[in-house]
Amino acid sequence: MSNAIDTKMLRDMFLAGAKNLEAKKEYVNELNVFPVPDGDTGTNMTLTVMSAAREVAALPEDAPLKEICKAMSSGSLRGARGNSGVILSQLFRGMCRILKNVEGDITIEDLVESFDKAVESAYKAVMKPTEGTILTVSKGVYEKAREYDNNADMGEFIDAVLVHAQEVLDQTPEMLPVLKQAGVVDSGGAGLLEILKGCQKYFRGEEMDLTIGDESESGEGSEKPKAKSDIKFTYDMAYTILLTKNFNIKQEQDFLKYLESMGDHASIQVVDNKAAMTVHTDDPGLVLQRALNFGDLTDIAIVNQRTNAEEAPKEEKESAKAVDPSMWKQTGFIAISVGDGLTGLFKDLGADEIISGGQTMNPSTDDILHAIEKIGAKTIYVLPNNKNIIMAANQARDLTKDKEIIVVPSKTIPQGITAMINCMPESSGEENLASMTEAMGLVSTGQVTYAVRDTELDGKVIHENDIMGIGDKGILAVGKSIEDTTIEMIDVMMQEKGGELISVYYGEDVTEADANALSDKLRAKYSECDLELVAGGQPIYYYLISVE
Amino acid sequence: MSKIAIMTDSNSGISRQEAKERGIHLVPMPFTIDEVNYLEGVNLNQDQFFEFLEKKAVVQTSQPSPADVIDLYKRLLNTHDEVLYIPMSSGLSGSCQTAHMLASEEPFENKVFVVDNQRISVTQRQSVLDALELAERGMSASEIRDILIKDKFNCSIYIMMDTLYYLKRGGRITPAAAAVGTILKIKPVLQIQGEKLDAYAKARTREQGKKIMLEALKKDIETRFGGLDAHTNERVQLHLAYTRDLAAEQELGDEMMEAFPGLDRPEIFPLSLSIACHTGPGALGVGVSQKLKV
Repeated sequence: MSNAIDTKMLRDMFLAGAKNLEAKKEYVNELNVFPVPDGDTGTNMTLTVMSAAREVAALPEDAPLKEICKAMSSGSLRGARGNSGVILSQLFRGMCRILKNVEGDITIEDLVESFDKAVESAYKAVMKPTEGTILTVSKGVYEKAREYDNNADMGEFIDAVLVHAQEVLDQTPEMLPVLKQAGVVDSGGAGLLEILKGCQKYFRGEEMDLTIGDESESGEGSEKPKAKSDIKFTYDMAYTILLTKNFNIKQEQDFLKYLESMGDHASIQVVDNKAAMTVHTDDPGLVLQRALNFGDLTDIAIVNQRTNAEEAPKEEKESAKAVDPSMWKQTGFIAISVGDGLTGLFKDLGADEIISGGQTMNPSTDDILHAIEKIGAKTIYVLPNNKNIIMAANQARDLTKDKEIIVVPSKTIPQGITAMINCMPESSGEENLASMTEAMGLVSTGQVTYAVRDTELDGKVIHENDIMGIGDKGILAVGKSIEDTTIEMIDVMMQEKGGELISVYYGEDVTEADANALSDKLRAKYSECDLELVAGGQPIYYYLISVE
Repeated sequence: MSKIAIMTDSNSGISRQEAKERGIHLVPMPFTIDEVNYLEGVNLNQDQFFEFLEKKAVVQTSQPSPADVIDLYKRLLNTHDEVLYIPMSSGLSGSCQTAHMLASEEPFENKVFVVDNQRISVTQRQSVLDALELAERGMSASEIRDILIKDKFNCSIYIMMDTLYYLKRGGRITPAAAAVGTILKIKPVLQIQGEKLDAYAKARTREQGKKIMLEALKKDIETRFGGLDAHTNERVQLHLAYTRDLAAEQELGDEMMEAFPGLDRPEIFPLSLSIACHTGPGALGVGVSQKLKV
């Protein structure tokens, strides 16, 4: 009988937990309340825990507990995707805060204390904690655990905690009506239980493969850095013009066009009497000659990327950062978007970086941090455009020290568009957050997609492959025809909140002709409203509709 | 008491007819359209101007020629002791600077006073009328200038544009234009206050834009003009200006009166052409300024 585990056991149990969740990923995905084709709690939690597992696995076999805790904590924080992923990362973080200070073996009492801290951190991460979720399951774990002390046996302790966690999970439909209606238990809680089950199995001595693959194996990996052969132009150059001649917007645009004609990665940032420029080109001499027309040159840096690629493969990424912080522009924007049309729309409105993602693919905290890093701006607004990405964005904000990050809690693409339109560059981040949030509140969003399984939701019976119109608070319309269901959904939106402008963003599976036919009907029906039809190109959702 | 000539340019929106009736001396703004020179209000009226715009003619604005300004200074000093010139905002044109430079030379020094109070359109017009009133009361040109300059920021104009086409094409008021995309129909509301012409807000529909402008006026009155109370009408003058769509502006006027019961309904004036060439047709404008303290 033992009441403690050693560092190596903790490490391996953690890896086993991560592996077990990875294996059960699809099962967790299917526990989605909405029968939409994008259930991804399992994927998000797996990507989060695997990010931590990779950092842990990369440590030497005899790494001290402190190091393992650090890897678990930072790996999951940075890899966090989706709300459940963010909560999971906070659970690990809280736990590690206690465990990292443990000397020698980890006792039951150490674990109890760490669970307490874990639950506290997780609840704090959520603005309005909801019971019947992963939070409740984690609290259940702690409540059972604290009944034990160091006089107990570790094996019995683990088994009892797991039994209780399963009971709490089974109770979640009683706490959250949406779960009961959909006939599922909470997916985040189920994900957490799968991790715990992995730990238990390993502790019991079951044979398990603890090899952690690289990122690409867990599914959607982030973009790989460019290989040397991708370098199109030899020189990466950056310089600043101390402007002595007039350099207005027109001249700036002309110069940018010229730089683009000379190569790629062209950028210009003008602050006061300085213009900082970067470009990748084969002919730096010509570029400098032209720049001299506008003033004296300073901070000139020219790097040969081909010779440099061998020694410093990261050099390319650095070019954005080469812009001195004093040259940063006032504001930047990051939007999470999907579909060519919507992405183009956000760029047109002034977004500096677009992170591809949305319902089917939640970007991680790390993805958002990378985008933040690339933008030379003092204040950066992040538009998550999905309720499941807001927490990861908040986490990225908390991890950023050198820039002011404003996370605008946009839950849908149309909300994000409205928020961005309402941002005034002269106002402070705080003022803008207030006015953008207020403007978003005036937008109601409807999304039209198909059901992946039979269910009953919001009092509506839904069959597999039915078309559903989902509003901000639930299902608004169900039918067989895309057009009819969309119109029915808009009817409800107009009755509930009303508005003067109906925007229709049609997805990649809708033809322009169909979209035009729909908008003609809407124009006739709502003649007092303005109507805007935009090719959004989004997958899965036939139509995104906003009424404001 | 010295005899003062009040001089302004056609950006004030004051017509030649009105100028004559009130005894105001008007400098017409020159425009070059498809390489032909015109003078605002002389051989170029609003209708003709918008016909040119719609035909996508190349419109260039410039400042009044120094020779014309000097001629008028001279002519006015033959019949008056002093000249007070209120040109368009120095933030939007170099004409003020030129007029100032010319006035500082012999024989105009200390006789011609140029007011750089950074106004345009309806609020510039208000300054001209105020100047007439103050001259009537017996003040000298320099005293009037000081009062107008002290009062220069006590006004705002908001203009909602129906289209971004002209603003982008002009390439001149870029910071305002740069922040607005082109894929969606967005109606920017610009604010003119002091030397700045800024994007104030962006509306998606006309109704929304009108609400934004009336809210902005309310905020100005509450924060800068002593609030809304029984005496607001003694302190505050509202303004209405537009391009092309008079009916829409009248409707906006009705809504303005509903929002500010108890204030005098302002007369409606067309926006002067140097603004109109950037806003294009269909722009709706409102303004507020402080009334002269009695």
